[in-house]
Amino acid sequence: MIQCERVTKSYPMGSGTKQVLRGINLEVRPGEHIGFLGRNGAGKTTLIKLIGGVEMPTSGKVRRNMRVSWPLGFGGGFQGSLTGYDNARFIARIYGYEYQQIRDFVEDFTELGRQLKMPVKTYSSGMRARLAFALSLAIEFDCYLIDEVIMVGDANFQRKCHSELFDKRADRAVVIASHSPHLICDFCDRALVLDGGQGRIYTDVNEAVEVYSAL
Amino acid sequence: MSSFAAGWRIQRRVIGALMIRELVTRFGRENIGFLWVMVEPLLFAGLVGILWRFMKGPEEHGVSVVAFCATGYLPLTFFRNAVTRSVRIFTVNSGLMYHRQIKIIDFIFVRVLIEMIGAMMAYVLIGALLMSIGEFPMPADIGALVAGWFLYSFFVFSLCLILAPLSEMSEVLEKIMPVTTYVMIPFSGTFYMVSWLAPQAQAAMYYSPFVQGMEIMRYGIFGDAVNAQWNITVPLASSMVLTLIGLVLCRRVRRRLVVE
Repeated sequence: MIQCERVTKSYPMGSGTKQVLRGINLEVRPGEHIGFLGRNGAGKTTLIKLIGGVEMPTSGKVRRNMRVSWPLGFGGGFQGSLTGYDNARFIARIYGYEYQQIRDFVEDFTELGRQLKMPVKTYSSGMRARLAFALSLAIEFDCYLIDEVIMVGDANFQRKCHSELFDKRADRAVVIASHSPHLICDFCDRALVLDGGQGRIYTDVNEAVEVYSAL
Repeated sequence: MSSFAAGWRIQRRVIGALMIRELVTRFGRENIGFLWVMVEPLLFAGLVGILWRFMKGPEEHGVSVVAFCATGYLPLTFFRNAVTRSVRIFTVNSGLMYHRQIKIIDFIFVRVLIEMIGAMMAYVLIGALLMSIGEFPMPADIGALVAGWFLYSFFVFSLCLILAPLSEMSEVLEKIMPVTTYVMIPFSGTFYMVSWLAPQAQAAMYYSPFVQGMEIMRYGIFGDAVNAQWNITVPLASSMVLTLIGLVLCRRVRRRLVVE
């Protein structure tokens, strides 16, 4: 279970501050799929970062009682100057996994072949998305945080994500931020619509998508 | 107790992984790899030692000038490198904040540790080389040498723990750092034993944690050939106070750290 209690986040902007989130309450239960909807800059990524513990809330609390992945995006979680293999080694070390096991999974999932011997900064965004997904799926988490990234891949990648995440790991919780109403409707049980720093949770996903479309 | 043991295991894993990562990114795997870490201090101590040898002659105050120079310069380069590497360390490493088991203090610890190991390896190597040509004495007291290194390193670490968060808060610090470390040199105990100084200067140097650490290290090498005088309360107490302030500052910076 993940609990967010009256979470606020503001960033310094010029001489003042910019209030991005103004008191978000949210609960993610085991196995539940929650979608975040909102316009650009509404705070979807910020909220995912707070849930993942990448940044700290300005006030309020985030409680994690399950193994939560790092937010899957284009950049975070790996280092550009290191090769794909070195990143896999690093992840294996800090999470206490066998490198062999992680490497096999990454090779198989990413299909990047020799490119894995190159620094990650030379990768295209689609290739990065593949690596990011492979690395976090190789580690067992109870909840995966996904920030948009699923949309960048080609059809083959999306199919793979689909089968690994929603079929093989159907019992895991997923928090996904996306602009794609289609994705949210198909896979989410509930949706959070972010607007003006406030969040509203909808148990009817279609209703959430309608509200979002009207924003 | 078991949660403490688990935490300790994770901590060791993280430190190990960060060390390897840092060494690979900085030095790569080609040619001598991570051994580069001791090349710079080695060159520094070696070349300045030779320079001194020609400027001051073979011996001063009854000890070899080259050996005295090497024992002073290696801790000094460690201090300067560690401090320089702490600047903006959180911003540079912010990508690692994606993994919750990594804490920002780990970054500082790892960088200081790498610089320390590099300087110590250079110390042993240069000591062995100089010993083989009769320019370096057999260490009089290895225990004192290690204790001196520990006190000196603890103080450097506590200093970095403060400078790293401050460098994130203000740009000014980054600009004045090089000149400050340069001006610090007379207070670092690199070039003298306290007993060689005038009485007023001796009294002032008593309060420099660097000088205290250096005196103990020098005693460890030269023994009674130098008149070393020290007190471990000053370096220990000041390091502990700085560590405490540093931890508070790190916590504050972490709360506001913006991660891309």
